[in-house]
Amino acid sequence: MQTYQTFLSHALQTNQRQYNAGLRLNWRLNCILFVMAFPLPRGVTASEIAFLAEMETVTVVPRQRLESLELLGGPVEPLAPPRRASLPLWLALLLKRQRRANIIPPPWLHPEPLSLILDVESQHQDYQNAFSPPPPLPGQPSVLDRDAIASAKPQYTPDGNRYYPAPPFLPHNTAQTTSSRDTPSLPFHWVEVGNLLLDSASDDLVDPDQIRRLLKDLREVRMSKMRSGVEVLDEAATGGGGVALTGVGSMELGEERGFITGVVDGLRRIGSSKEQARREQMAEQRAAGGYDATQDEEEDYMEF
Amino acid sequence: MDIDDILASVDHGPGASPESTALDHQLLTRFWVAERAVSEVLPWPAPLMERMMDRVRIQVHPRPQSKTINNNLTRNQIETIEDLAASSGDTTVPHTHNPNLNLRLSILQTDLARTQYLIRSLLRARLAKITKYSMHYLVQLASRDNTQTQSTLSSQNPNQQPEDSVPEIASLTDLAPLSQPEASFLHAHQTLLAGHYGGSFMGSFPRQLRRLDDNAGGTSMVQGPELREVVFVRCLGAEVPVLLEEDEDVGVTMRMGDVWVVRWEGVKKAWGRGEVELL
Amino acid sequence: MSYYDIDSILTDSQKLPCTFELEVPGLGILEGNAGEDIKAGTRIDLPLWLGEMLSIGARLGTSRLVTLDMPDALSERVMNALKADPRTLDLRALAPHFYNLSERILELFEEEEMVDVLTDTFKKRAAEIADHAHNSRGAVGDGVDFLRGLDETERQLFRAAHDRAKEMRIWSGEARRK
Repeated sequence: MQTYQTFLSHALQTNQRQYNAGLRLNWRLNCILFVMAFPLPRGVTASEIAFLAEMETVTVVPRQRLESLELLGGPVEPLAPPRRASLPLWLALLLKRQRRANIIPPPWLHPEPLSLILDVESQHQDYQNAFSPPPPLPGQPSVLDRDAIASAKPQYTPDGNRYYPAPPFLPHNTAQTTSSRDTPSLPFHWVEVGNLLLDSASDDLVDPDQIRRLLKDLREVRMSKMRSGVEVLDEAATGGGGVALTGVGSMELGEERGFITGVVDGLRRIGSSKEQARREQMAEQRAAGGYDATQDEEEDYMEF
Repeated sequence: MDIDDILASVDHGPGASPESTALDHQLLTRFWVAERAVSEVLPWPAPLMERMMDRVRIQVHPRPQSKTINNNLTRNQIETIEDLAASSGDTTVPHTHNPNLNLRLSILQTDLARTQYLIRSLLRARLAKITKYSMHYLVQLASRDNTQTQSTLSSQNPNQQPEDSVPEIASLTDLAPLSQPEASFLHAHQTLLAGHYGGSFMGSFPRQLRRLDDNAGGTSMVQGPELREVVFVRCLGAEVPVLLEEDEDVGVTMRMGDVWVVRWEGVKKAWGRGEVELL
Repeated sequence: MSYYDIDSILTDSQKLPCTFELEVPGLGILEGNAGEDIKAGTRIDLPLWLGEMLSIGARLGTSRLVTLDMPDALSERVMNALKADPRTLDLRALAPHFYNLSERILELFEEEEMVDVLTDTFKKRAAEIADHAHNSRGAVGDGVDFLRGLDETERQLFRAAHDRAKEMRIWSGEARRK
């Protein structure tokens, strides 16, 4: 360090600011040693995702009576065999493990719909680079009628804000939801719900071994789509751009989150000088009054 | 006390409907996921957290001290974990009387544990960000205080210490995005940290190098969260465009049910309106 | 650039060829000749932070002490090799913080084509990294060489992908069954 200091005092004594800068670079290293590590990865982890999936509602056939309950997660209806009841998955699993209830598998968690979805994922022309469509949100038109207009109807929170429900708080895994018209689709928490039910309620499933195989195949087909999607990720690295991942599952997203954000972050930093130049150019154009917003509109919509 | 009395179903007063309990649970869950998904500290949802904590208190103990609790709730015989636990250990009550007692207790305890996990993880995630970007948030808060003299003036002080660069925020009322306890924590944390730096190594530096909010050399010591990072969102409104404030440039348009990888800065406003959710 | 980011500090210490435009008295120490002067036209490799500081005059158009050159890691030769096949290059050997260095260099030089080459390189290598990261058996065959040649940004990418995939396998019970 002696030579470094000597050099600095010789070369940079004319400028105190630069001297400070040089010295600072040096003790930035010191500071780092003192910055407390608080490792917490951005985005929910695998076990947290499973925790969320346990909030999904499933249908059970109770084997005993139980009075209604007021839980912090909301009210639970009374259980009276043989009447079906809708319960949060964590509670259904708790009852199942104690043989107090049987779980009616979600309509998609059967060999036939899973094979159908697997065919769509691997064969269908429209979904070569995209995931099969997820179950629609309330008010969202099904994929069957593409021309229908979405009508999002919000609930209102006690604070007067809009609230649109989404998974895990939609009945995407309950027995009664699907009418025969609906094509089967994988809900957001399909990996977790499938896994949890195979582990703890396989005797309630139809052909669990077949289901296990199909889930594994689905994961592989979809993961390879996810990974080949690296090619279009630079669309998300620009300012107003983005990459669509519609249909992705929560666990799949969790698995790829770090990688995708890392790639996009890297691409953004490599391209930052270009983005800066573009910004300046646009600012100039605007200043000159000749900027026409429409000319910049390009089709940024990309799908994996 | 008769357990049947404890377990008796109750009438709920206004503001405590089962629907609002379920809705608040969903709001808390969504907020937790969002807080875990971005680098910046999101605005503290004070009313929601107050309602949640009131419910937790009621669930644990029947006669809470808090005066914010709805009177209808406290008047009624609400089954609570404490009451149930007391009853299950009470040998004078025959166990055949209610065979589901232990089951109910374990369900209530699991439910409580899950809620506690959510709240604890949320607070931890926020503290992690607050300590990571401590100077950023302190400087941001202090900039709202017009009465405060510019702290940089004191850099002429010959006894300059690292603590001097920690802005005073005690007189502030607007602490967004932090809660009051978080703001106090932040100030105390940074004061301790600066004192520690000063005592262990910065004290031996030339005084002009003892600040923690310097930006000499072109790199600011005050590091804030990266807003250009990408996040994963689900579009909940019918159509939501990705907007960039900086150049009023409209980007891609998301449609209801879509999941996108986009820049956080481009959807932050839509998130505030509840039209997208973070995944 | 983040103040407390160790990678950004290490990037700043990567060397860059600098040519002195003026004679500087007493600066011979940089060449290993303490006490001597540095002659105009002398070419020395200086750390990025120092070279950048000394070249500030150049960018402002006033008198300048040094002019900066492209580091070898980002030379024409390397760019051509990357265009041919980005997967075979050992980026780590070129510069441990190859992409961070590029980012800093691109702030100093206007090189639009380099942005395109590097973007393509990063994407192609990222896809390869993802494949290796999801292979639960670990690196095999050619993969070992490729993974050894990852720069620091790529290593972090590999770690992010690998750790999350592993976490998922542990959750689902696959990792324990192994």
